Amino acid sequence: MSIRSLVCYVAAFVATLACVAGTACAHDIPRDVTVQTFVKPDGQTLRVLARVPLRALSDVEFPRRERDFVDLERVDQALDDAARLLLSNNLELREDDTPLASPRIVSARMSLESDRSFATFDEALAHVTGPGLPADTSIYWEQGILDVLFEYPIESDVAHFSVHAAFDRLALKVVTSLQFIPPGGTLRAYLLEGDAGLVNLDPQWHQAAARFVVLGFQHILGGMDHLLFLLCIVIPFRRARTLIPIVTAFTVAHSITLIAAAYNLAPDALWFPPLIETLIAMSIVYLALENIVSARLGGRWIITFLFGLVHGFGFSFGLQHTLQFAGSHLVTSLLAFNVGIELGQLLVLAICLPLLSLLFRYKQAERVGTIILMVIVAHTAWHWMLERFDVLRQFPWPTVTAAGLASSLRWLLLLVVLAAAAWLIPLLQRRAASEPTVESSER
Amino acid sequence: MRSRNLYIGAVFAAVVVALTIGQFALDRTATAQAQAGNQAPRFEVDPMWPKPLPNHWVLGSAIGVWVDSDDHIWIVHRSSATLAVNERPLEMQTGECCAGAPPVLEFDQAGNLLRHWGGPGEGYEWPDSNHGIFIDHKGNVWIGGNGGPDSHILKFTKDGKFLMQIGKKGARRKEGAAAGSNEGDVSNFVGGSNDQVSFGRVAKIFVDRQANEAYIADGYLNKRVAVLDADTGKMKRWWGAYGNVPDDTPLPAYDPAAQPTQQFHNPVHCADMSVDRMIYVCDRVGDRLQVFTPEGKFIKEGFFAKNTKNSGSAWDIAFSKDKEQRFIFMADGVNEKVRVIDRQTLREVTTFGDGGRQPGQFYGVHSIAIDSKGNLYTTETYEGKRLQRFVNKGLAPVKTKDQGTVWPASR
Repeated sequence: MSIRSLVCYVAAFVATLACVAGTACAHDIPRDVTVQTFVKPDGQTLRVLARVPLRALSDVEFPRRERDFVDLERVDQALDDAARLLLSNNLELREDDTPLASPRIVSARMSLESDRSFATFDEALAHVTGPGLPADTSIYWEQGILDVLFEYPIESDVAHFSVHAAFDRLALKVVTSLQFIPPGGTLRAYLLEGDAGLVNLDPQWHQAAARFVVLGFQHILGGMDHLLFLLCIVIPFRRARTLIPIVTAFTVAHSITLIAAAYNLAPDALWFPPLIETLIAMSIVYLALENIVSARLGGRWIITFLFGLVHGFGFSFGLQHTLQFAGSHLVTSLLAFNVGIELGQLLVLAICLPLLSLLFRYKQAERVGTIILMVIVAHTAWHWMLERFDVLRQFPWPTVTAAGLASSLRWLLLLVVLAAAAWLIPLLQRRAASEPTVESSER
Repeated sequence: MRSRNLYIGAVFAAVVVALTIGQFALDRTATAQAQAGNQAPRFEVDPMWPKPLPNHWVLGSAIGVWVDSDDHIWIVHRSSATLAVNERPLEMQTGECCAGAPPVLEFDQAGNLLRHWGGPGEGYEWPDSNHGIFIDHKGNVWIGGNGGPDSHILKFTKDGKFLMQIGKKGARRKEGAAAGSNEGDVSNFVGGSNDQVSFGRVAKIFVDRQANEAYIADGYLNKRVAVLDADTGKMKRWWGAYGNVPDDTPLPAYDPAAQPTQQFHNPVHCADMSVDRMIYVCDRVGDRLQVFTPEGKFIKEGFFAKNTKNSGSAWDIAFSKDKEQRFIFMADGVNEKVRVIDRQTLREVTTFGDGGRQPGQFYGVHSIAIDSKGNLYTTETYEGKRLQRFVNKGLAPVKTKDQGTVWPASR
């Protein structure tokens, strides 16, 4: 390295330190920026409206007048450059997997940071295509906002569109708020953090399903508490015939509450997530202790069903921020998420069951081995339970209100209906089996 | 066996019917409860907000707060000028802690300190005693001042770059009175409530986006609301109490039993515009809010804790964030509470807060502002010297007139 380049490096380092240590420094990379976008296909044109603060566009020099106010009479070219270089060049749009050509910039203009017209597409479109700010408006350049309308040529407005918004270089933390408005369809809102990759704005059912199978698979494998619960379920029943009703009960139960939570039927209160997390830990402690004491195998499916309801709410917390990628296939995506969970469980069972069999055959007698494993599991879950209960205690108990009681009654009603079905279906099956056929009665 | 099954089936059916009826009845009750009764926003103090300041910085008397369009909270405080020597040994180089923070501070919603700046600089006259802060629709920061010679207001960018000074410092000094000594002595200064250039110790500024006009609560020496062009600073109009031409003749001490005075008392402490374009003016010592059109036509007035003497009860206001701005939240730095007022009737609905040093209590609650979620922010003057956040917990039935300290229910 030459002395000259060394001096350059040192100077750059010192300048960086000065910026970090000091207050605001010109052309700083902003801490956080929100980019607002609307995407609307209409006929053979796809319109994209974008809004971004000027302070995130420091790579472009905006012409200024006295006191660093933006010179609105000479700013158009700089706004076009910023729109192209920093927005459209980092925005990839696809129509049925075919990348769209570069867009036409219909309008690029400055707005005040207090402007609220990006609340809806129509308001934003009217704002961007309407009269601009008077040329004598005084806006300090870093306090302005760039609003842009891009138009992309498309084949059809009912095609499947996807978007890759790579605006992550505009600030240390970038959130892209994207609203997709398909023709005649309901608006779909996405909140993408950093570079979220390619997002299908109107995913087909198999695309949504594939995404959610993967999510479910990853979720169960990343949740140690769910896996320990599974271990507690299977350790006394390592044969498929005895396992099937229990695992089925767990699957049905967690599917019920997972879907209910996705349809906003779960309590929307701060105490609810820690309550569920505490109950999940408690479920592991209970099953581990029951296994130690010796499981009542006959009733295991009932308790598994009840705990499955609790775990379903737990699964739903992991889904909250990803349901935006389901498009119009919410039920499909939820079922796919469940499939992913089951696949993950099957993988774990496929690994655990042979290992347990080997362990109990060659290393440790089954009863003693079970007790040792369950003591370890119970000990771990006990600590989780206490930690989670500590979090739960920080929230006040909900006050009893008529609305809260009504919500509780709805859940109780669901449970009673399920219990009635569980009682009635086997009864009807037995009756159908015991009734003599016409042929036999005639004989 | 058959009769047993019938019996179980009947029990299930009866339970389902009972639960369905019960649920409908409770839903109806809940709807009725929500529609009836006297309701007001409920708040809880957030004792963990804001986060500790860096560099061993501490606040002085905190006399202004505003929330900008990004929901960032801005305050102005008097820093070292109001800190005793034993509060700032680091600054005095006699110990490790503490030092006065820069006068203008910006916090994010998480309570992190973002930008910080302020103090004397080139091209402008920093107030002797800064007072009130406002962030306008263009993102500019406005600051007033109520020190002895302060008769001007300043406008900066959010980074602290100077943009404009309106009025000249010292304009209210009496002819012949020497500058530089006894600046706090009122006898050296005289009000000038009809001055078209300078002010008289400005308390607060509010900029109307629609007309690009700044409303000046003017002030601790003058007795008026002044309206300026927000870009040029040119005076456009002004008025006194009841829309009268302001008169600087000193008023007798406030007497709750006397007829309301036809002029504002000092200080005129706020002049904020509501969504229906009415100007609400705090006559702090007169314990009253007066409401005007933007042109200065008097509409109505309301009195609050009318027996409050000395510094008065009407310190500062913030409007609730619902579409109609149904409520006004008024800081009352003598009685140490925030008054929740029905905006249309100017009737007090409830109050919260109490005097004291703990979170949720006040010592000289001076200024108040609200964010987009309806959370309130207060700053305290005198030795209060702090910024607090009160979290909006939604509308709730009013159970008590004075709620006292709104401590978090979870603690």
